[in-house]
Amino acid sequence: MKAPAEGTLRGIATFLATFGIGVATYITIADSGGGSPVCIAGGHGCQTVAESSYSHVLGVNIAAFGIVGYVVLLACALLRGDLARMTGFLISLVGFGYSVYLTYLELFKIEAICQWCVASAVLMTLLFAANATRMLAYVGKEP
Amino acid sequence: MNNRRESLIKLASAAVFLTIVAVAVLIVVSQSGSSGGDSENIIAVAEVERELQGIPQDEMVLGQPDAKVTLLEFADLQCPFCKGYAEEQLPQVIENQVSSGEAKLDYRTFTIIDASSIPAAEAAIAAGKQGRGWNYVEIFYRNQGQEGTDYVNDEFLTAIARAAKVPNIARWNSDRRSAAVKAEVESATAEAERLGFEGTPSFAIQGPGTQGLEALGHLESAGAIESAISSAR
Repeated sequence: MKAPAEGTLRGIATFLATFGIGVATYITIADSGGGSPVCIAGGHGCQTVAESSYSHVLGVNIAAFGIVGYVVLLACALLRGDLARMTGFLISLVGFGYSVYLTYLELFKIEAICQWCVASAVLMTLLFAANATRMLAYVGKEP
Repeated sequence: MNNRRESLIKLASAAVFLTIVAVAVLIVVSQSGSSGGDSENIIAVAEVERELQGIPQDEMVLGQPDAKVTLLEFADLQCPFCKGYAEEQLPQVIENQVSSGEAKLDYRTFTIIDASSIPAAEAAIAAGKQGRGWNYVEIFYRNQGQEGTDYVNDEFLTAIARAAKVPNIARWNSDRRSAAVKAEVESATAEAERLGFEGTPSFAIQGPGTQGLEALGHLESAGAIESAISSAR
């Protein structure tokens, strides 16, 4: 199977990372305002998740780490060359792995699902797919 | 060029492997970490708040004071079946028959698991003196630890009191150590025994349709509780 053009993959990653910055920023702002994200489809999952002890690491909302991750991924999508390909792959790999862990926590430890976290997990999964395809198809080749 | 490509892909494969290991380790650590009874990590506070919102509480009684039917639940805070009831069965009863004013629930402490059940019961009753008894009970259940792990200590009980938003913690502390509260716990357990109960949770009911206080014993489901309330009307 022929991989899509690198430009296409970078375009997809740019779009996804921009969306990710939006989602993570919304969660961070909603949390710092003392409230919790509002679930669009109703229910109280977001409040439960946001109030759980897992929502902060060293006193920092994990969504803030998410913003940093998505910004780096956006930069990697915009840049050419092997460094961008490898960094994009590694950061999205870590992001994807962490999203798997967080989704596990939501399902089995907190027992609540927050759509915003699910949205971020889906974006991170797609970003990982795009970055992995880009890396496997083009790493070590000319930009 | 090909060598460089190969070594970068090897590096990427190693990173994938490490990530899988890291996620697995995180999940295993989180499993062994907190299986309830963790005063550092009190959960489900908002859920309980919503469940009880707008329903009057007086001591350990939840519901409108003029509700005709009183359902007494004799339970031990350390009992996993009582936790199951609090999470699975009672929310439906609270939503349907307690908030409508049809029945009120009277939580009685039946301390049968071990010695730690007594300070837990005293802590709940003391929270009831400040109108937060049911929040205390419900939050306790949702954070219940494994039996026999000695998680019921002052730190845990105080963490639950704070989570239950007991307004005056100093007063709660002196109440839960008072002779009056101790006597309440003892008399509730004595009453359960008098009613012939041997396990928790056990129920008793009183209403216009009953002959005084009737022992129901163990009730299988929310439906059984609801029909017991309906026939006591």
